Amino acid sequence: MLNYSNPITEQKSYSGLQLKEINPIMKLIVRGKKREFLSAIGQSLNLLLPNEPNTSTRTDKLTALWLSPDEWMIYSNETSNLDNNDYDIENILNKKISKTNLGAITNVTDQFVLINLKGDKIYDLFETGSPFNFNKFRNKVGSVTQTILAKIDVIIQNTNQNEVNLFVRRSFSQHLFSWMNDSASRL
Amino acid sequence: MTKNLRVKTSKFIDETYKVSFKFNGKTYYGFKGDTLASALLANDIHLVARSFKYHRPRGIMTAGSEEPNAIVQLHKNTSRTEPNVRATEIEIYDGLEASSQNCWPSVNFDIGGINNFLSPVLPAGFYYKTFMWPASFWEKYEYFIRKSAGLGKSPSTPDPDIYEHRYIHCDVLIIGAGISGVMAAKVAAKNGFKTLLIEEKNYLGGETIYQDSEHFKINNQTSGSWLDKEINEIKKIKNLEIKTRTSVAAFHGYNFLLARENLTDHLPIEQRNGKTRQRLLKIRAKKVITATGSLERPLIFDNNDRPGILLSSAINKYASLFGVACGEKNILFTNNDSAYETAANLFKKGISIEAIIDNREEIDSKLIKESEKNNIKIYKGYTIVDTYGYKRINKISIMQLSKDGQKVVGSKILIPCDCLGISGGWTPSVHLFTQSGGKLKFRDNDQVFIPNTYPSDQISIGSCNGDFTLDEILSNISKTLKEFLGINKTGYENLEVQTSFNKSKRNIWLLPSDKIVGKTKSFVDFQNDATAKDIKLALREGFRSIEHVKRYTTTGMGTDQGKLGNMHALGIISEISGSKMGELGTTTFRPPYTPLTFGTIVGRNVGEYFDVYRKTPMHDWHVKNKAKFENVGQWKRAWYYPKNNESMHDAVQRESKAARDSAGILDASTLGKIDIQGTDASEFLNRVYTNAWSKLDIGKCRYGLMLNEDGMVYDDGVTTRLNENHYIMTTTTGGAATVLGKLEDYLQTEWPELDVYLTSVTDHYATISVCGPKSKKIISQVIPNLDLSDDNFPHMSFKDTKINEIKCRVMRISFTGEQSYEINVQANYGKSVWEKCMKAGKEFNITPYGTETMHLLRAEKGFIIVGQDTDATMTPIDLQMNWIVSKKKYDFIGKRSLYRSDTMRDDRKQLVGLLTENPDEILEEGAQIVANFNKSPVEMLGHVTSSYYSPNLKKSIALGFVRGGKNMMGQKLIIPMENKKINVTVADPVFLDKENKRLNA
Repeated sequence: MLNYSNPITEQKSYSGLQLKEINPIMKLIVRGKKREFLSAIGQSLNLLLPNEPNTSTRTDKLTALWLSPDEWMIYSNETSNLDNNDYDIENILNKKISKTNLGAITNVTDQFVLINLKGDKIYDLFETGSPFNFNKFRNKVGSVTQTILAKIDVIIQNTNQNEVNLFVRRSFSQHLFSWMNDSASRL
Repeated sequence: MTKNLRVKTSKFIDETYKVSFKFNGKTYYGFKGDTLASALLANDIHLVARSFKYHRPRGIMTAGSEEPNAIVQLHKNTSRTEPNVRATEIEIYDGLEASSQNCWPSVNFDIGGINNFLSPVLPAGFYYKTFMWPASFWEKYEYFIRKSAGLGKSPSTPDPDIYEHRYIHCDVLIIGAGISGVMAAKVAAKNGFKTLLIEEKNYLGGETIYQDSEHFKINNQTSGSWLDKEINEIKKIKNLEIKTRTSVAAFHGYNFLLARENLTDHLPIEQRNGKTRQRLLKIRAKKVITATGSLERPLIFDNNDRPGILLSSAINKYASLFGVACGEKNILFTNNDSAYETAANLFKKGISIEAIIDNREEIDSKLIKESEKNNIKIYKGYTIVDTYGYKRINKISIMQLSKDGQKVVGSKILIPCDCLGISGGWTPSVHLFTQSGGKLKFRDNDQVFIPNTYPSDQISIGSCNGDFTLDEILSNISKTLKEFLGINKTGYENLEVQTSFNKSKRNIWLLPSDKIVGKTKSFVDFQNDATAKDIKLALREGFRSIEHVKRYTTTGMGTDQGKLGNMHALGIISEISGSKMGELGTTTFRPPYTPLTFGTIVGRNVGEYFDVYRKTPMHDWHVKNKAKFENVGQWKRAWYYPKNNESMHDAVQRESKAARDSAGILDASTLGKIDIQGTDASEFLNRVYTNAWSKLDIGKCRYGLMLNEDGMVYDDGVTTRLNENHYIMTTTTGGAATVLGKLEDYLQTEWPELDVYLTSVTDHYATISVCGPKSKKIISQVIPNLDLSDDNFPHMSFKDTKINEIKCRVMRISFTGEQSYEINVQANYGKSVWEKCMKAGKEFNITPYGTETMHLLRAEKGFIIVGQDTDATMTPIDLQMNWIVSKKKYDFIGKRSLYRSDTMRDDRKQLVGLLTENPDEILEEGAQIVANFNKSPVEMLGHVTSSYYSPNLKKSIALGFVRGGKNMMGQKLIIPMENKKINVTVADPVFLDKENKRLNA
């Protein structure tokens, strides 16, 4: 068996803020423009891809984030098995989308690290390193933004009141996590 | 003997909390709430500094950030030392240590004071004129000038404090919490706007909050107590954030502002550890309300700079807010009613006023009457002609002004005093407004510049907009806010205001004297020692533009940016040149409004957070195995793995030998990886690479070279065809992001018709490259069920497979010239696969190697590194890579440029190999290459781009660019070094295994 080494092993807790990595979470980038592409995804996954910019949709099992007019990220809401990286959803989409030339399905499970933040100080933390205006974002569950935090590209989704999922490229994740802890320690 | 000049308790000072501090080594006491200036004044200390040029004794002059004189050094000789801190702004705390600047040996006895007596020979422009010749002497002058220049001393050890940034987005930003700012904040916040109120002081309410007089009333309460209630009310509003001790430094376009929030500077040092000292606020506001108030103007007369001379409003503030008398025998000198307000307040506190000198002749107001009633002698129509006292003013002489105000008449009257308050009217603080791009207009009747046109959604209110009196402020504010915020009601519509202020003013920029101007020292810029005489000299010498006069005289170029004196400089110029002030304009106000620390600007971008770094999935393993790291792009890459204190050279020799003789293992995860899908993927690759892709079989890999439109090599890498419409491209480590951006750009703007999608997967995969003659054996142990036979799995092909239940992709590609397998596996399993390879390779002496060995191995094989061997001026033809440029393809990026006359020249610099005559001599990368030393100037033929000692070839090898090198094979050239000349021979750039036997073994 291969050992699994995710980048962020610690959970951190501050007053009003908790940070932890959630893994393994299947993540796919799906890209396509055609109407048939959207309906094929809808039918295969029972999931409507959001067409409003910077929003997200979700079902019990999956969440879809709008990333650009022809680009979405789909991720699983529950963690998957460590011993296996063969994902049913990916296989279904490969069959329904890639094989039929409707669009592109790319597995990015380990491209992004999912950091879950909880607490009423999330946005105080973001304000110390992100130029993005979170005023509307924080009040609208489901909002998605692609911005920078501490000079690092991130995708942030408002999943709940005082809870967000943050996606960062794996190679940047330890640096970002260290920065977040440094900043959080003074909030 | 020091006196105690604390007069009466003030509600702003906590007299139960005594604070001890040191000034120039001596211990003094003040109270919590004091500034350093108020505490010093309470101890009867006025002399705190020496002026910049003449070293004249100087005292505290103001009570705010406009202070030109009282700038001190804090905590000398410690890591927290800070120069040029205004004593009027720093709040005292236990253990504060401050000292005077620009004086030696002490502020009381300063050797530099000699300059004051030399001043007749030190006019404006003295340094410019004197040290111009002989030109060669500058280096000698410089040492002395530098030594005497500058004010404080910067710290010489690392800053122990923490600084941060914070981004704020608000609907309405209000700058300044005087009466206008407080009212505006209440209106904005109550109407639902997300509001931010910023105030540089530690209290709200500006100058009105301590206005406690029958002469100024709102709704039948004194203005101070009315405002106090308003402040208490706004503190409870939820969508209003109030930041005190915060100073707006810059107001940029589109309502982007920078402010500095001071968090710990008022705390004793031992309470600061671990806390953020200062925060840079980066504010984007939909609307900005500037309520920065106004600054009192000084008056310009002979010797107007002595310690003990303060602005009249400052004397009022020290008495009313801090409960401190600035002197025991006070005189006020004014051209308007403001000084009478000061007089009334001082009288109430029992501070004696000897006289008021008013340059106006016919004046009358309730305020003036009160002073007369209090038996204060008022000299109407008089001016001060001189002052006396070296380290503290002790008397003044006054004379009557002529009717036109141009000269003095009658006889001199001498009046003793120990403190003089001067009041020249008010100047709106329009600095931030003009920084934002706002244009000013000049109001003739009271000679002020006020905001005229606004470049963004902003407004100025209160005295920074020229509304100086309470009734003006209150009658305008409601209408202004309604219009600006688009609201119907402010709640301030029906305020009853009483004010006794008479607005008459007699403005004389440079007051006349019985002496000629050349004999007077009438200071205009106190910090830089620029006098009226200097300005006149500048005009005589032909300077007309205010910007030129500023630079010639240094007026307004100090740390206070001439907040006090700039208007007078303008006024004097306009009087002499006969031009109108409105037409002269002002000098440019530049950020920051008050000085910023470097720490604030830098924030947390220090140390570990100076730059972003990226780590590969195997990073921890490299650390554990003592790798040295190299920065490549933002990545930390293993550079080499020294064993037993090996040098880099020794480690690289060992690593590269192992890779050729048995097996090496490299972390190649940093290479950019782009997933390319779509029915036009092959066509897309045809267009972005120079070679052809349509015929690449599924399962096969191909090396590609990417050019810019100018035909120059931009990136390279191996692309693999995973499926009919599916490729994976690798890019250089440093080029990954820009290549993806460029390709996406082409897809969106040049070729939108192509059905192609790109997705970066760089971080998704860990890439483990195992190379060397034993690599096949190692891979077969790691992945036993994979058929590695050359028939099934030849060079430049790939296989999808599994290690245990984990899917992965193995590519047989090589950057070293050795047989080589690259395992690509999901990143979180990378470390485990790496360890598996290490374990399987143990018996074959598998050796981890870093980027340095990789560079050596590829150089032996003549493989280029884009960015090391190329520099965006090399075509594939220059690289002797004609084979990769398709002649058949209709087009590809950069194709046309390859057929320009310049890119087709035979004598372009071309890639060659270089072999040294002495095989042990290693060339230096970057060294020049020449052929002939007899020609002058010596012709530079090219330079060395890569150079190593090859343990496998047992000689030194190098790659370089030589003009016309392609046709110079075997020719001898020379590499001139500092102490020697190295003979080299031009060779084929492929040094090892030209037939690719090793690759296909």
